[in-house]
Amino acid sequence: MQDESAIDITGDGLEPTETETRLAARRRPRPSVQQTALRTYLILPAVFLAVTLLGGLRFGAADNAFIFLKPALICLVFASAMLVLFIRGGLVDIAGWFSDEFTTVQNVANAGVLLTLFAATTQVFNSLIPERGLPFWVIGFCFLWTIWNNLFLDLDTKKLLRSIGGLFALAFFAKYLVLANLTATGDAGWLQRIFEDPAKETFTWLLDLPRYSPATGYLQFLAIALFLLGLYLTPRRSKK
Amino acid sequence: MPNGNRDQKKYKLVEDEGIIPMKEKYIHILSITGVVCGFVFITFLYWAEPRSLAEVTSKGQVAIGTYSIDKAEFDRGVTAFRAEDFVGARAAFDRADPEKRDAATQFYVAYSFYRQGWGRVSSDDKLFAQGVAAVDRVIAIDPNYRSADAALVMRTPTEIKTELDEGLKLTPSDLNPLKLIKERK
Repeated sequence: MQDESAIDITGDGLEPTETETRLAARRRPRPSVQQTALRTYLILPAVFLAVTLLGGLRFGAADNAFIFLKPALICLVFASAMLVLFIRGGLVDIAGWFSDEFTTVQNVANAGVLLTLFAATTQVFNSLIPERGLPFWVIGFCFLWTIWNNLFLDLDTKKLLRSIGGLFALAFFAKYLVLANLTATGDAGWLQRIFEDPAKETFTWLLDLPRYSPATGYLQFLAIALFLLGLYLTPRRSKK
Repeated sequence: MPNGNRDQKKYKLVEDEGIIPMKEKYIHILSITGVVCGFVFITFLYWAEPRSLAEVTSKGQVAIGTYSIDKAEFDRGVTAFRAEDFVGARAAFDRADPEKRDAATQFYVAYSFYRQGWGRVSSDDKLFAQGVAAVDRVIAIDPNYRSADAALVMRTPTEIKTELDEGLKLTPSDLNPLKLIKERK
């Protein structure tokens, strides 16, 4: 009886002000268990799968044709390091995602969600690291340096998310604004392009920059925004 | 405490702790299915590398084994081929067989390159090279293919390939004056 009164949520035996506060807290909309499950098991994988699909997609400069680029091996390495970072930073608590107390189906579903997170992370690196040439090595090295440093820091979840957001924003700026503006486009002959814009043509040749349609930048912006949204929605544990 | 209140509280706690196993189980199963389907679809796209939405459909049909050519476009192509409109014929054949997986269509494509590129004195190497690529596709699809079109002189891909290869090579026989009376097949 003593225990029951301790968790009395009906307001019996409490001061009027305290009762009002508790009632107000009860009236506040809280996500139900089913809503949380829907978010974790349906919305979250859908977001990460969308990122996985879009991360390697480019549009050809001449005809806007789809170009699907498979991720380089280094993207998988970076994604693995990022997963370790997510776990160390407290974004994902492995014990809260896999447990003997869960049913097999839930453990498998949790593995599926984390697999989509890994795939999306890989594709985000595929999106942000230039495809080839000197920029690939320079930006790849910058990523390696940052991730390696972060692995040994004591980051909390908020700081980790801010750091990842900042890192990806900078990489996006470098690839889709700076390098994209140095790339010569158009389907004219190389001689004509040299006469029209010698600087761009020189940079394109020197840095070995691929020619993509401007729509690629917009699409990748969406992919990165979705990825960050997905990280924000990712719960620390699959079950409270 | 009245029993009604206790039951209400108990129900509330059960709801808060999320003890609704059936529904959650379905959500988990739905999630696993969605993730598997999503990965299959994405893997297919990155493997097939379609260049447009239309190619997604045709490559999907190839993957699940329901691909077939557009018969009406194929007939249109054959009519254009017989009327010596080789460019129009190839455009129709491309529409009929966008995935280039039908031996009969690719045979006509190769033949159209041969007929368009053939010359009494010299042949068009560019067209003949494209013809070789098309006839190689026919051989890859069906090495024993034989055309049922009685109006054609060459009925097998090997015959076309021999003619195209000879046209591409520069040999002493090219200087043979009797070559001028040779007829197009």
